[in-house]
Amino acid sequence: MRVTGWAVLLAVIVFLLGPFLVIAAAGLSAGDTLAFPPQGLSLKWVYAVFAMENFRASFVLSLELAVGSTLLALLLGVPAAYGLSRYQVPGREIIRTIVLTPVIVPGIIVGLALLRHAVIPLGLSVATALVLAHTVLIVPYAVRVVTASLENLRTDVEEAAVMLGATRLGTFFRIVLPNIRNGILAAFILGFVTSFNQVPVSLFLTGPGITTLPIDMLSAMEFVYDPSIAALSALMALMSMAIVLLAERLLGLSRYV
Amino acid sequence: MFDNRRIGMALAVPAVLFIALAFLVPVAVLLSGSVATADGWGLGRFTEFFADSLYREVVWRTIRLGALVTLTCAALGYVAALAIVQAGPTWKGRFVGLIVLPLMISPVARTYAWIVILGRTGMANQLITGLGLSAEPLRLLFTETAVFIGLVQLFLPLMVLSLVSALENLPADVVPAARVLGAGWMPVFFRVILPLTREGLVTGGTLVFTGAITAYITPAVLGGSKVLMLETLLYQRVSVSNDFVSASVIAVILIAMGVAAHTLLKRAAKARAR
Repeated sequence: MRVTGWAVLLAVIVFLLGPFLVIAAAGLSAGDTLAFPPQGLSLKWVYAVFAMENFRASFVLSLELAVGSTLLALLLGVPAAYGLSRYQVPGREIIRTIVLTPVIVPGIIVGLALLRHAVIPLGLSVATALVLAHTVLIVPYAVRVVTASLENLRTDVEEAAVMLGATRLGTFFRIVLPNIRNGILAAFILGFVTSFNQVPVSLFLTGPGITTLPIDMLSAMEFVYDPSIAALSALMALMSMAIVLLAERLLGLSRYV
Repeated sequence: MFDNRRIGMALAVPAVLFIALAFLVPVAVLLSGSVATADGWGLGRFTEFFADSLYREVVWRTIRLGALVTLTCAALGYVAALAIVQAGPTWKGRFVGLIVLPLMISPVARTYAWIVILGRTGMANQLITGLGLSAEPLRLLFTETAVFIGLVQLFLPLMVLSLVSALENLPADVVPAARVLGAGWMPVFFRVILPLTREGLVTGGTLVFTGAITAYITPAVLGGSKVLMLETLLYQRVSVSNDFVSASVIAVILIAMGVAAHTLLKRAAKARAR
């Protein structure tokens, strides 16, 4: 029984991570067609990816979008989390539910609904639409993660500060904010990775000329048979992994999720 | 703690307003399209939708694959989680880390790996023809099996993680006690471990099932137009045929399926608890 358990665990880990090693190897191939095992090793496809204009443009857009929408989500989510956890707000549970609902609706529906019933009728730009959609997606994470770190913060320090004459605003910026800094950073990283890897929400909101990296990759997969997509996939995976591992080292990200 | 309600409300208002305007209202309007018929309100759109055998097949495939993926993840997840929990503290942390890692990797990259593996000249086919199991390379991509494999890889970590935390809360001595009293591994699992960890199973099961039925990338890439699921059908209806009515019907079905799975699993867990 023990041995079977270990064998299955090992198989599960190989099954989960093996495919990543396969694309990494395929992306490092010296050959011109997608293959595993690779025909010799070289970095030529990694260089090729950096040289591709469209990927560069969509990478920059994805980056800007991830940073912008995560900041916006924090701007909305941090005060909401604070208000809901520190004040007697009537209908608190309902408000919390409303703010958290976007996670239960499939992303593709969020994107389509926004496009049809907000972006087109209001004449918003594609960029605005993308920011709105990604922010909708990240607000629940921001509220949840920040609420978790607020719950770990004892309230008597705040009460003491207020009693000693600090204003509420002063207390928030000088006592609360420094103490939940790690939670906010964790929320930022989670939001960033979520937005950067996001596909379904953006599916209807991108078009030729303005596209995010994962969607650009998805459409390139249909007609590109060389190892460039594998190299790009491996690079993206490395980037997400590096960000998250770094965050785990610095902040203990897993305590907030 | 502070009892100034107005400040609390004021702090929450921007987020609520944003979610309401950028999410609730557009989604509600979209969903309402499914019950609007030529003469008022009704379920006519749903009858039309289910009258089409192609669409029925897609709904059935989505439920079937969702259930199959959930069951597979539960079976693999229990064995893996039990092994992880039994490992020493250092190794437990490392294993959990290895399980979490793929969750951070872009689903597009993870799905693409299966093209390299399952493609016509991919690793799997090289192995199959190399071992002489088949003279011709097999068609592995664009099959339900490919979608199934991709979905299990995508969602298995969520199941393992919920089961690990459920197993950690299991009282340390119940399993040895049952063993000492002469119970075999199967009875121990089904009569001790499973009932005591059902909450983790429900959480994991809900995450996996709703994730699997609403996945887009995996069926789109590994199933193509041959293995449509509800999400890929929705995309196709909108982008190819501008058919927003079917899209809203599919949206309602998807949300209803998610809510139903959640309620059913929760109820099943409670029923067994009694």
